[in-house]
Amino acid sequence: MELVVEGVSKTYDDLLVLNQIDLTADEGQIVCIIGPSGCGKSTLLRLMGGLEEPSSGNIKTRGSPPSDCLNALTFIFQDFSLLPWRTVESNISLVLEDHPISNKEKQEIINSVLQRTNLSEFSKRWPRELSGGMKQRVGIARALAVNPSILLMDEPLSALDSQTSEILLNDLIDLWDKQRFTSIYITHNLSEAIRIGHKIVVMSRRPGEVRETVNIEKALKERELRNIELEKYLWDLLKEEAVAAEREIGSET
Amino acid sequence: MKHKKNTFIKIPFRGSGFSYRKNYWISPVVFIVLIALWHLGSTLGFISKLVLPNPTEVVIAFHDLYVTGDLYLHVGASLKRLILGWTLGSILGIIIGFAIGLFSLVRAGLAPIVAAIFPIPKIALLPLFIIWFGIGELSKVNLILFGTLFPTIIATYGAIDNVDRSLIRMGQSFNLTWFSITKKIVFPASLPVILSNMRITAAIAIILIVAAELIAAEKGIGAYIQMAGSLFAIDRLLAGIIILSCMGLIANWLIGFTERKLLKWRNL
Repeated sequence: MELVVEGVSKTYDDLLVLNQIDLTADEGQIVCIIGPSGCGKSTLLRLMGGLEEPSSGNIKTRGSPPSDCLNALTFIFQDFSLLPWRTVESNISLVLEDHPISNKEKQEIINSVLQRTNLSEFSKRWPRELSGGMKQRVGIARALAVNPSILLMDEPLSALDSQTSEILLNDLIDLWDKQRFTSIYITHNLSEAIRIGHKIVVMSRRPGEVRETVNIEKALKERELRNIELEKYLWDLLKEEAVAAEREIGSET
Repeated sequence: MKHKKNTFIKIPFRGSGFSYRKNYWISPVVFIVLIALWHLGSTLGFISKLVLPNPTEVVIAFHDLYVTGDLYLHVGASLKRLILGWTLGSILGIIIGFAIGLFSLVRAGLAPIVAAIFPIPKIALLPLFIIWFGIGELSKVNLILFGTLFPTIIATYGAIDNVDRSLIRMGQSFNLTWFSITKKIVFPASLPVILSNMRITAAIAIILIVAAELIAAEKGIGAYIQMAGSLFAIDRLLAGIIILSCMGLIANWLIGFTERKLLKWRNL
């Protein structure tokens, strides 16, 4: 499925948070959105996922989801959002329970996503027993369980240490290579965006606007660990505003 | 302080204390020593019999209570009122608390009334309840129900207000139904607060039943203590107080047990 954002603005009371955003994610494309904190990138993602309503403009999808898709637009959260009172497998079962699926089928889906995320042996564990990286794997497994056609990822690796996030980044790239999902990927980590994005959208803040869009042609699997040149280019776009964002008092995230 | 450049000094440990160490034998020892001192003081005459009888007399009072069947009579009467009133009050409180927590309209209508009734010391309502429900069981059960109800309502909707919104958002993002989100996210998330509130309401219920029985009852621990007091039978009075302590401890243990069963996801 494709995701199209047309002239979307969002205001809270009188505060303009997002101004005239235009953005397209083509089928099978990962679009990374980067920007200084307070640029409204998480708000934009929630708008795309239908968790908030735009003040003006349209957000649409084009094309039909796969036939066994249970939830076309599916989130992966920065804070994992696992239910601490449910085990790993039960956390995944949660998103299947409201659908007319037999228990046998449910178990098959759970086993399959646990296997794809290397979690099979942890199925009976409580979230509190898992490391941050493992928790996010559960978050990814839960998202895969509903067979989404668009994955909305809100800084999925930001709460992890840099080594764990490197491991999970590679896992995500492998996963994309197999399933070719469409995705919007919010991050503030430039090198992460350069590694996993087919398109990088740079946003500016107050109000949030699209400042520049950079396409990267090179296949995800063939990219180097760092692309210092591109990173520097992106950083130059962001630097001034990042400094301003850091000095701001009482800004909400 | 000046040290020579090439001398090595071992870094002293300064991180001791301020941490809790488990110690299983000290509390029984303290308990036994206190009883022994009491017994000694009584036997030697340091402690006047009018103020505090010998512990052996309290034991005898207990024995009498048991042999005559009065223990069953009084404890049974109090327990019946307690369990009935507390259970009904808790269930109703949780239901109303959920209604207030989940529906803005109910909140707007009921929350101010609850806030207004909550601070009334419920024992002050006993005379009114006696007029309304009679001198019998109904006035006492209702008093406990009332005393349990309001703290439970407030704790329950407070717990719901504090449920992590990001978990609810997560549920919505996966298209869970309203009922699923309430049952699988909101309810388990507020359960720890509801259960710890039950400890408090159990204590409130015991206070209320004793107070009610002291004022107007023929049976019950409160009535037994009242009778013992008016006869200056301090041994029996103390036996009654010890029964109350045991009731509180058992209630506390039962709730702790329930917590360990229902909230096993929290601790190892």
